[in-house]
Amino acid sequence: MIEVKAISKNFGDVQAVKEVTFTAPDNQVTALLGANGAGKTTSLRMIYALITPQSGEISIDGINPKKDPEDARKLLGILPDTRGLYTRLTARENIEYFGKLHGMNDENIKSRTESLVKDLRMEDFIDRKTDGFSQGQRVKVAIARALVHDPQNIILDEPTNGLDVMSTRGVRAFLQKEKQRGKCILFSSHVMQEVAAVSDEILIVNDGVICASGSEESLLEQTQMRNLEDAFVHIVTKGEGHE
Amino acid sequence: MNNQIMTVMKKEIKDNVRDRKTLMSSIFMGAIFMPIMFVVLINFVVNMQKDKAESQLEMAISGVENAQSFISFLKTKDVKIKEFNGDATQAIKDKDEEAVIIIPKGFSENFSSGIPAKIEVYYDATAKGSTNVTQQRIKALINEYSTSIGMTRLQLRGISPLLLKAIVVEKHDVSTTQSKGAMMLGFLPYALILGLFMGSMYLAIDTMAGEKERNSLEALLLNPVKRSHLLIGKLFATISFGLMTMVLTIVTFKLVMPFMPLEKMGMSVDLGFKNVSILILVLAPLAIMAASLQTIIATFSKSFKEAQTYVNLLMFVPMIPSMALMFVPVKEKLWMMATPILSQNLIINQIMRGEEVAAISIILAIISALIVGLLLALVAIKLYNRESLLFSD
Repeated sequence: MIEVKAISKNFGDVQAVKEVTFTAPDNQVTALLGANGAGKTTSLRMIYALITPQSGEISIDGINPKKDPEDARKLLGILPDTRGLYTRLTARENIEYFGKLHGMNDENIKSRTESLVKDLRMEDFIDRKTDGFSQGQRVKVAIARALVHDPQNIILDEPTNGLDVMSTRGVRAFLQKEKQRGKCILFSSHVMQEVAAVSDEILIVNDGVICASGSEESLLEQTQMRNLEDAFVHIVTKGEGHE
Repeated sequence: MNNQIMTVMKKEIKDNVRDRKTLMSSIFMGAIFMPIMFVVLINFVVNMQKDKAESQLEMAISGVENAQSFISFLKTKDVKIKEFNGDATQAIKDKDEEAVIIIPKGFSENFSSGIPAKIEVYYDATAKGSTNVTQQRIKALINEYSTSIGMTRLQLRGISPLLLKAIVVEKHDVSTTQSKGAMMLGFLPYALILGLFMGSMYLAIDTMAGEKERNSLEALLLNPVKRSHLLIGKLFATISFGLMTMVLTIVTFKLVMPFMPLEKMGMSVDLGFKNVSILILVLAPLAIMAASLQTIIATFSKSFKEAQTYVNLLMFVPMIPSMALMFVPVKEKLWMMATPILSQNLIINQIMRGEEVAAISIILAIISALIVGLLLALVAIKLYNRESLLFSD
């Protein structure tokens, strides 16, 4: 479970995130939905302690990542915004490297890699050097290396960005499966259909503030709209414009 | 040792061993190509000088008819006389002749009446290499002739020619045979230190700027590993490549030594077990310094290319003391032995000259390089811990 209380961050004069508060419980997919530059990536980076919030509190299963970044990261599996791989290593070696950095032994890494290969359908390219991989293959390897230690909490920054239909569906199915295993999943996206398709709870972020939250149905009800896109625009523009 | 540090180090080594560019630049260029180049160059220079000193001397002379006896003297000395007509200055400027001798018209009259007879020698004092050898041989021949005639004249007048010699200079050259050619080997310290810098250069760039450019840095930082451990692992990989290249360079030098014209240079370099051990011991701590410096520079660079430009400039640093020592020999002092890079230069030079290296020099050289290296490593760790590391682009 990830709990965030009133976190804020400035970059110079720009206030990127203002007093953001939410909880992402286990057994649920929580989505941060917002336009580019709304503050999604900055919020996520504070949760996984890559940058320090100016104020506010964060807790990952009771651990404060500001104080114990290494302990908090053991409980987190993170797919960041940038997902570069080591191109001179094979996909398997990329995953192994992160497994070892998590302190796993060879046997655990091997069995966990096998199950990830099956779940993410990486059989065809797992032992190839990652140079020249397609976007879809790269994201799958990046997800696998992020989750090699089978963490309870999963954070993904725009996971399906740049993926084709088949890869997108594969990633979505994988997230559903992880949710059924009782995981806490928090992801950011600017794609309405995607958020609508997979999330249980949607947090709409605009200008560094969460301006609405709830399930898709409840957001539609709050705004009296027929689809999530219209509801999003209504909320973000405060009911002023639909174009 | 910490497992995570080992993991990072092993991964960086494996990753870079697979890159042919790294192997080419560090191992081939640094450790193999450079020593071989060095041997070829030295052989070329030494043989050229040697050939010139032993070959038949050819003299361009204008006014041969004015000094028959001088010419016959030269002929007994196996000099090939070449009659010269034209502008002497121009001929030397155009490098048609290495030196030109002009015997003026009044030569034999003055000669017969015992007045110093003039011979003009045209040459370029700034010329190098074999030309220099030719000029010296010409001057020596003229002196020899002049002295022998002068002595004969005194004897004919019943005066001992020894009266002319108020002072006799007896030369005692205390340089061992080895130090005579040490000048030629003055380049060796630079070659060894440069090999070390070249060996670690690629890894420093790849593990720092390369990781940033590949966009894998953020994911790496998200592992439950202290950043200092990540950096130390990377640094160890970088240092190990520097060390490996350095040892390989020394081995290559040892292997090519028999092909050096050492005898012709009048020297013998002892690269036995003891001296090789001293070389490795003294150079090893420099690897930490080189790797840390290169890592620091690469941390600040946004891209691989940018890092490469700056790190390449760094190569000039070890060149400064080497060059300076090649032209201005100094007496080794203790503070010099406590100055990294300079101390390594001096110790390598001492070994080349066949001198015994003092234990205190070795210890000072090692400790000073270690201290500077560790301080630089700390700076590199500090820089890697910055929050802005990821966002500096």
